[in-house]
Amino acid sequence: MDIFSNLFMGLSLAITPINMMYLLAGAMVGMIVGVIPGFGPSAGLAILLPITFGMDPVPAIMMLAAIYYGAMYGGTITSILLNTPGESATVASTFDGFPLAKNGRAGPALVMQAVASFVGGTVGVILITILAPMFAQVSRSFGPPEYFLLAVMGLLTLIVMIGDHWKLGVISALIGLALGTVGVDLETGQGRYTFGSAELIGGIYFIPIAIGLFGLGELFYAFYQGLHKTGTGGIIKYDEEKEFWPSKMDFVSTRMTMVRHSILGFVVGVIPGAGATIASLMAYSTERSLSKNKDNFGKGEMAGLVAPETANNAASSGAMIPLLTLGIPGSASTAVLLAAFLMWGLRPGPLFMEQNPELAWGLIASMYLGNVALLAISIFAIPLFVQLIKVPYRLLGPAIVVVCALGTFSVNASFVETYLMFAAGIIGFFMRLYGFSPAALVLALVLGPLAEEALRQTMTISRGSFGIFLERPASLWIIGVTFVLVALLPLMGRFSNRADAAKKAGT
Amino acid sequence: MRIAFLFFVLAAAIYYAFIAFVDLPFLTRSGRLGPGFFPRIVGTTMVVFAIWVLVDALREVRKSEIDESSWGDVVKLMLLGVGYAVLLRLFGGFVASVIYLGVSLLAINPGRHLQNTILSVTIPAAIFLLFDRLLNANMPPAMFELPF
Repeated sequence: MDIFSNLFMGLSLAITPINMMYLLAGAMVGMIVGVIPGFGPSAGLAILLPITFGMDPVPAIMMLAAIYYGAMYGGTITSILLNTPGESATVASTFDGFPLAKNGRAGPALVMQAVASFVGGTVGVILITILAPMFAQVSRSFGPPEYFLLAVMGLLTLIVMIGDHWKLGVISALIGLALGTVGVDLETGQGRYTFGSAELIGGIYFIPIAIGLFGLGELFYAFYQGLHKTGTGGIIKYDEEKEFWPSKMDFVSTRMTMVRHSILGFVVGVIPGAGATIASLMAYSTERSLSKNKDNFGKGEMAGLVAPETANNAASSGAMIPLLTLGIPGSASTAVLLAAFLMWGLRPGPLFMEQNPELAWGLIASMYLGNVALLAISIFAIPLFVQLIKVPYRLLGPAIVVVCALGTFSVNASFVETYLMFAAGIIGFFMRLYGFSPAALVLALVLGPLAEEALRQTMTISRGSFGIFLERPASLWIIGVTFVLVALLPLMGRFSNRADAAKKAGT
Repeated sequence: MRIAFLFFVLAAAIYYAFIAFVDLPFLTRSGRLGPGFFPRIVGTTMVVFAIWVLVDALREVRKSEIDESSWGDVVKLMLLGVGYAVLLRLFGGFVASVIYLGVSLLAINPGRHLQNTILSVTIPAAIFLLFDRLLNANMPPAMFELPF
């Protein structure tokens, strides 16, 4: 009953003209960012975060959340029409999305991906509504040892998912942890790695690094790949009047696919480090295994598009659970969202929903509305996004640099942070080029100070004994779950890679 | 290039660990964990992993799969970005953005002068309106005001 009254309160906050305007603007901008190849939710959030600084926390968080799942919606359009995924979470959508478009079913594919995203996103939000208060209740018994272990779990699972390049993932995370130690040590007041600079006393700010790594780094990488030279001549054209709407059969044949993969995607999304990419690849692979039309997968099977689309949007919702209830981001996108919360002086965690009910439930309620808005935008604004895809990268690139630079400066009016952003962009490009993980770096930068503080508090409580981690039931549970995840996640990764292999084999 | 980047990472890791061991105490005077505790663990682990990865990379030195032709535009974009950072300090957000966009579009999108000129002015103007007027956010101030 509490859930319904809280949700109703959240809805009453979210449905104000100004909040709805920000929500719609966020959804629209998120979709635009998602359409740009190489730019996913993390880049979109990092680049656009400064825009929300002048706002009140409630509309700002609502807008950022809308950008987050708007980018997830938008990433698929290029997968279907150009065979170029907007970001890694929509790679699986190319497997059947592009063949569907080539077979003259681009319109139905675009509409069905929007419907699947809507179902995945909405089921995800329903599960957040039910499960978030329960997670928060459980996590109230957590102390510093558990928070340290959770931070370690978040980083470990992300590194394990990197696969063959795990050593580079470890180094990326360590660079993030190292950057997190810059600034005055709060316990002793001693400066660390400040080199006498007043600007570094407060530490290295997260936003310039995130904008640099995800915004500029990805842009440089896209130029390196030559995206600015390739035109959009290969874009599939379709008749918007005759070939747009899906058939009744499309809906009927994929209804159970949507249910299955909403739940699967959500569960994978809750696991720190796993995220939307793994969820979508797993969903594709699972759906292919369960389907009676296995042979049609890869040739334009609607279920092959619906499954990953449902799963990646449900996973985005699932990733909000550890963020809201534990204050631990499980992905780079939620790490940027956490940074936004912290900027407004809000600390997500076990007491967050109790102490900030307006914000927490306003956000959850806005996600219901956002999904409805995105469904409408996705379907009716498709021609607009198709036109956007045609804007050449060579024009977008310099404009993105300007937005990144001015956005970074606007945060703290600091030239040093702007220079830091450019440096992070160049380093981010090399990291991306040589197999390092910018996501692990960003996650470690956010989790590092939290982990260090929790570890030092733990050692103070236990008087220097690491045995405390084995004495507390909650700690033991987290250690157990971490072991299971570290053992299982590579298997999940391999399982989902089969989807890739099957696609490449052309089966 | 990859080896050079890994050497850079190793050098940074060694420097980080060196400061952690030399400047930052492991324990405080009261016997609690000091400011050097965490950096020492991070620094040492980073050095070990950087050496490990570097050794792996040196063993498997193979012909670069990099398409050299792609480097030109990336380096151009990076240098223009660095130049833009300097211009921001000198001429402020709006003027620096107009100059940066004009030059970079000339380099990346040559031959389309009208399109480049329109974009060089309209994009900074739109961002200026959004940040400075609508959102009341900070824009980089100019050290030198242009006479026009």
